[in-house]
Amino acid sequence: MKSNKVVSLLKDLGLLLYAMFALFPLVWLVIISFKHDREMFNTTFIFSPTLDNYRVLFSSGEFIGYFVDNLIVSVGAIILSIVVGVPAAYALARFDFKGKESIAFTFLSFRFAPEILVVLPIFLIYQKIGLYDTYFGLIWIFQVVSLPLMIWILRGYFEDISVEMEHAARLDGYSWWQVFIKMIIPLIKPGLVASSLLSFIFVWNNFTFSLLLAGQKVTTTTVAMLKYVSSDTVHYGQMAAAVLISSLPIIILALAIQKHLVRGLSMGAVKG
Amino acid sequence: MQVEHKRGKFVQADSTTLLSNEEIKIPFLRKMRPYIILSPAFLLTIGILIPFGMAIYYSFTNFSFKYAVYNWIGLENYISMFKDPEFWHSVKVTIMYAGLATVIETVLGVIIALLLNRESVIAKSLRIVLIFPLVIAPVIATLIWQLMTNNSVGILSKWLRMVGVDNFTWGADPKTALFTVLVIDAWVFTPFVILLVLAGLRSLPKAPFESAMIDGGSAWFTFKNLTLPMIMPMLLIAVLFRLMASLQMFDIIFALTRGGPGNTLMTLPLTAYTEAFTYKELGYSLPYMLILWAFVYLISHYMVKYWSHTQKKASGK
Amino acid sequence: MLLRKFLAIIISLVVGIVFSACSNSTQSSGSSVEKTELKKLDGFDWKRFKGEEINVMLNQHPYAEAIIKRLPEFEKLTGIKVKYSVTPEESYFDKLTTALNAKNGNPDVFMTGSYQLWEYAPAGYIQELDPFVNDKNRTSSDYDINDFFEGVLNADKWDLVPGHKVGTGNLWAIPLGFEINVLHYNKRAFEQAGIKNPPKTFDELIEIATKLNGWNGEGSYGIAIRGTRSWATIHPGYMTSFSNHGAKDFEIENGKLVSKLNSSKSVEITKKFVELIKKAGPKDWSNYTWYQVSSDLGAGKAAMAYDADNFSFYNNKEGASKEAGNLAVAPPPATKDGDVGSNMWVWSIAMNKSSQKKDAAWLFMQYFTSKEHMIWGATQANVVDPVRKSVWENQGFKERISKIEGYEETFKSIIDNSTIKFTPQPEFFNTTTEWAAALQDIVNGADAQERLNQLANDINKRVERLRVK
Repeated sequence: MKSNKVVSLLKDLGLLLYAMFALFPLVWLVIISFKHDREMFNTTFIFSPTLDNYRVLFSSGEFIGYFVDNLIVSVGAIILSIVVGVPAAYALARFDFKGKESIAFTFLSFRFAPEILVVLPIFLIYQKIGLYDTYFGLIWIFQVVSLPLMIWILRGYFEDISVEMEHAARLDGYSWWQVFIKMIIPLIKPGLVASSLLSFIFVWNNFTFSLLLAGQKVTTTTVAMLKYVSSDTVHYGQMAAAVLISSLPIIILALAIQKHLVRGLSMGAVKG
Repeated sequence: MQVEHKRGKFVQADSTTLLSNEEIKIPFLRKMRPYIILSPAFLLTIGILIPFGMAIYYSFTNFSFKYAVYNWIGLENYISMFKDPEFWHSVKVTIMYAGLATVIETVLGVIIALLLNRESVIAKSLRIVLIFPLVIAPVIATLIWQLMTNNSVGILSKWLRMVGVDNFTWGADPKTALFTVLVIDAWVFTPFVILLVLAGLRSLPKAPFESAMIDGGSAWFTFKNLTLPMIMPMLLIAVLFRLMASLQMFDIIFALTRGGPGNTLMTLPLTAYTEAFTYKELGYSLPYMLILWAFVYLISHYMVKYWSHTQKKASGK
Repeated sequence: MLLRKFLAIIISLVVGIVFSACSNSTQSSGSSVEKTELKKLDGFDWKRFKGEEINVMLNQHPYAEAIIKRLPEFEKLTGIKVKYSVTPEESYFDKLTTALNAKNGNPDVFMTGSYQLWEYAPAGYIQELDPFVNDKNRTSSDYDINDFFEGVLNADKWDLVPGHKVGTGNLWAIPLGFEINVLHYNKRAFEQAGIKNPPKTFDELIEIATKLNGWNGEGSYGIAIRGTRSWATIHPGYMTSFSNHGAKDFEIENGKLVSKLNSSKSVEITKKFVELIKKAGPKDWSNYTWYQVSSDLGAGKAAMAYDADNFSFYNNKEGASKEAGNLAVAPPPATKDGDVGSNMWVWSIAMNKSSQKKDAAWLFMQYFTSKEHMIWGATQANVVDPVRKSVWENQGFKERISKIEGYEETFKSIIDNSTIKFTPQPEFFNTTTEWAAALQDIVNGADAQERLNQLANDINKRVERLRVK
């Protein structure tokens, strides 16, 4: 029993070690967000904290605008992904049809398309058809990031739902739609929530697309963050504050749904 | 064993139908149904195929932002790419980076996930906190690390000096540049692996493990013969996503060293970016990306095949 | 099988696009001196184009801030509505290039560096400005183009022949502000070490800089210099010393552009520069962009810096940095007898060739490069160094720069020998980026002559691909 305790202690120690690696830069980020620019380069922890960086961020309303823009395109992309992705995942899980695996794989392969390869031609196309620098333009291209992940995770879920349950409900006289909404959606909810969050993270942080396909009317926070590297000096303090604030929605979301998150990603969640 | 068709598709005479009795009435629409359901998703993503086509076309031209005209030059861009020794250097660095990043993140991710999947106070309280680095955009993460590793003002360099290491210059030294970008990559993306593996672990049935405990199997034995095969599908997805993403990793390397010092970190995406944006030669740059994409496509194709295979195995078929 | 299907889709797409793309790929390229015929106007009037709307693309920079602050005045004076975007420098040119390539008249006006003109002008993206500047009906009588420093205005002129110097041919942009490269030093560091005068020669510089390593405790060092794998590493201190030493980047031989980066002069100065970096530069030199250089100078980590003169200007402002008030400037140290000059970085504004509102755009450019705005910018905002001679005579500005020891003297002593020292050619960014990579290799131990031979060889291959004569 004693050796077990030692082992458990060692395991905790290992975790703490990794936690230090993973969390120290974040702690550091919080610290510098409260530092004056001129104190930035003293590596000591002793300094007089200031809220100036946050004040600058919110004084102009500019940053709030970026934040809202980012929210619109990210939420828009996720909703669109759900609307088209859930039926697609369902079809891929439930039906056997010609070219099924090819289609499934083609979806996945979009996720692996090099962003730099596609962004230039897309830029040219967007300029031509007027989607450049618009919300919808960004939302559409973000599908490439979010949809494949969603389809793949949800497909696993649908496959786990027993067909007999669906059968039984249909035989009880419910229409296909009723079965889908009332029975299937609640069953895949954890997966939906988890894959939405993961997609949300990737879309929220996307840099290449938001940089080159928008920027005047629509500016996301990741792109805006570089603005704190201005030409007379680097405002690390303001940048840190901006990073923290723009990460806040994801952190809050992650904390709020933490139970769903891990459980939701496990495809066997409905297994007894 | 209670539910037979858990992962199975419909095994019926005509497998395209949900309910076979309806199928007799409207066979065509029924048959088309999966395609109809899929079509919105397909229409949305098909947009990306057009840029692909354009990219392939431009790779056969000398299209450049520096000139008003461009011409069809056939395979010239490809030939000069294959002849360039720097290209082979790029291939080597790209594979090394992607391979090492994936291995490090997978091993570390599995270990941490196993450690987190216990009921100790520390494990419980760290479970969600440890994925926080994942929410920081890679570009920004690199800026943070840059500030921490700067030789004259960075806190990590200061700590290293305190323990007597004076000459460690992180990304600035060709010998440690790869190590440094790998550390940053691992910092941002190990949580992704942790998250997926932890999800796999949480969904494991308890019974086989309890019986293994009673049989007195060693921890390693249990892991190798029970845990690993069962979390394999989840693990493979994590590996697949990480491998594909790190083959194309651009943000971190660019923000840290722009491919330097010298040509140390000039991976394929870095070379393509520099050629396309800094030198404005789109035509020359595209073969680098296309070759990378073909490579990524092939690997993912085989990995997905293997994935279906392990998934079937994991569910006991 | 799966692959084949996928390929089939792609091939059919390609074929479709080839046809659509081929149809619009024929356009004539520009001749060496261009002339745009403009419609005749009757008398100059700020209000003539009121009601028009122009799009402006700005890089995030103090020069741009000065423009944005005074936009209401401009809109009131002209009745022109201005829409603008500000992009951080890190990504500004990526965006600008793609926007210009779209050739749809957006933006009408944009900020640009002079080196970028060497790509944009041959591509036909930029409107030449001679017909505007020289037209009394388009340009206000008090504009006075001769008030600009000659070397600065020349930076924006070129006849589009690779290898011909700046100052020839059309005017492609109007300078907003510029930087020359000088030696910055921390007076506190010099006093502490008992050094009376800033170094005059490069050998002295190496000696003093080495002596100052560790002057301010752990992590402090002699001299901050840029070092990333980027063209921006070459143009400040390094190019200044390179040209002062009499080395050349290119020469035209038998009508062909030939790289001279492996000449004996080039190797000499490169070795000297590398010696300085190795002995007294930051240990992680190859991570250093302008902002590490500037902040190390301001934070008292570096005793000196060899970079743009406005670093001391920004860092010396009260509260701007830890060492504010301690910074001074001196001319670049010489490697041989004769006058010392500096290579130059110039921010300018230029006009999109495909703009539909060229006259309104020109009013914008004119207003924000006028004497009035330049004086306001140099005294009330941070538009340093000002490009107009008259501003340097302005009392308010003189007072402002008098707070930095040696600023005005240094400027006056080298401005006449300063302009862009690079040879204009469209492969500039390739040449200088590869150059920076070579410099990194040499600092990391590669043989200077061998590495520069290889570099010259690579560059020669590259410029052979130039498609302008």
